[in-house]
Amino acid sequence: MVKRLSPGRLLRTRSADLGFRTIALVLCGLVVLLLVGALVALITRTTPQDLWDSLRSEEIRFAIQLSLLTSVASTALCIIVTVPAAYVLTHYRFRGRGLINVILELPLALPPVVAGMALLILFGATGFGRSLADAGIQFVFTKQGIILAQFFVILPFMYRIMKTTFQGINPRYEHVAKTLGCTDLEVFRRVTLPMARNGLIAGAIIAWCRALGEFGAALMVAGATRMRTETLPTALYLNMTSGDLTLAVSAATILIGIAFVALLLFEKAAGTARIF
Amino acid sequence: MIRTEKICKDLGEFRLVDVSLEIDDAEYLVILGPTGAGKTIFLETLAGIHVPDSGKVFLDGRDITRLPSRLRSVGVVYQDYTLFPHLSVEKNIRFGVPYSRIPEDKSEERIAELTELLGIGHLMHRYPATLSGGEKQRVAIARALITEPKVLLFDEPLSALDSETRSRLREELRRLHRHTQITMIHVTHDFDEAFLLGNKLAIMNEGRIVQEGEPEDVFRRPNSRWVADFLGANNIFQGVQTPGEGLSSMRIDGLTILTTSRVSGSVHVCVRPEDILVSLKPIESSARNVFEGTIAGVSNTGTVINLEILVGKVPFVASITRRSFYDMGLEPGKNVFVTFKTVDVHVF
Repeated sequence: MVKRLSPGRLLRTRSADLGFRTIALVLCGLVVLLLVGALVALITRTTPQDLWDSLRSEEIRFAIQLSLLTSVASTALCIIVTVPAAYVLTHYRFRGRGLINVILELPLALPPVVAGMALLILFGATGFGRSLADAGIQFVFTKQGIILAQFFVILPFMYRIMKTTFQGINPRYEHVAKTLGCTDLEVFRRVTLPMARNGLIAGAIIAWCRALGEFGAALMVAGATRMRTETLPTALYLNMTSGDLTLAVSAATILIGIAFVALLLFEKAAGTARIF
Repeated sequence: MIRTEKICKDLGEFRLVDVSLEIDDAEYLVILGPTGAGKTIFLETLAGIHVPDSGKVFLDGRDITRLPSRLRSVGVVYQDYTLFPHLSVEKNIRFGVPYSRIPEDKSEERIAELTELLGIGHLMHRYPATLSGGEKQRVAIARALITEPKVLLFDEPLSALDSETRSRLREELRRLHRHTQITMIHVTHDFDEAFLLGNKLAIMNEGRIVQEGEPEDVFRRPNSRWVADFLGANNIFQGVQTPGEGLSSMRIDGLTILTTSRVSGSVHVCVRPEDILVSLKPIESSARNVFEGTIAGVSNTGTVINLEILVGKVPFVASITRRSFYDMGLEPGKNVFVTFKTVDVHVF
């Protein structure tokens, strides 16, 4: 039985609900306003002509190319590493599993500058780093260093997404595949990976967006050398400090543009992806 | 023949304790037990998903305790169907073909036969998300059968279906078993399934097999108070039995029941409600237990009517058809006779 309320109490509960909804809506609106305001202020800072000129400048073109190259490379590396790692940690029980999980997620809490410094010391000031450099694999102040730094920063994001994705797949699908004759590898290839498809796409796009904007760690490892290790965020920083506000804002606007397009593509990919 | 020997497995939440069972070829074993009894891990241990902590599993005399699932010829059908969502019905069914010993050209024949048998031929191009529960379960069964397993395991295969689909599919399982003669092990908590499908029944509780035998037998002769309660047996009484000449007599609260059991001392007895005859006058028959009582309550279950009849201080429950209930004009307060045979009194 539903309890009958007096008209007065009914009105009070209704207005209480309404009040809560209004407060939540207002707060949400404020945040949206802040985000839109900041972006509009930035974009309207340049005229389309300035933006066009910047896009044609050698420096910005170099930065765009380097940013795309490094972010795609680091994202690809990240997928290659995190997918098996997340699979192993969600599917097998072994000693030290909990510890490995914590370590893989640790960079999430680490400020990128700190991560960058740690990488710089490992690859620049230890015997390990020096012998790598002697073998011709140089990370410090190079483009490879940018990829390394981005990889390090996006790793925990991708790992977490893949872990949740794998955990979300009922292990019974895998059980059935095994009884039908699959080896573990075939189960992974024919069942687990296809079922993790949406998570993989989402994870890769988020990781790539973060790699594209990565600055702190890359700065520590690869430095900020014009036309050498200059990605879009670095271009923004260099031109900001040297007073060329137009180029700096252009770099920022281009970053926003790329992120926006990526998000649209993501929505489209998620839309055409079969909904299970 | 599949046989387990004292299997133990502890998964924390669920466990198996000393499970020993033997299932002959072409037998249909139903394992009945409450939720959390360990039924699913038992099946998954047979399928090779879990390796037992101790004990052994034999298939046709061969020790398969540590054999990987893919080499076992044991198929599984789960309650939640577990059709691969990214594959069409046809690809789901074909999933196991590359790993089986069936040659490619024979597999076409087999798929045609199976889809015909299960009536799913028209669904081949569809995706699992667009199928009804009954259709999904048929596809899951076809997928398991395609590799010609020696044993097929069902984990509550009908529990997620509506009652009409459930009874239809239950019939189909029966037909399928007759047709394929595959050994089937079926876990459920539905009594009807146990009765209608199984030619062998095992009752499981807290990781142990507490009773096994022919379904009819287990229902009539539960070997413990727990099994009797679980199977919903009414008319369970405690009393003291003294064996006499031929029959034994048992005193329950001032009432004396004759039984064929030879045990003496404090025992439980159970008489199934459908084994009790109700009449307005004493019946002329060979049945030795006849008592007069008063109807204390009437409950209509839809298919039968349960009467609560007080004989002295002892409450009996008797099931009668609606027809005889109306023919006799029964109602609470009316005096009736209850009659049951000594062989229907089960002592434990």
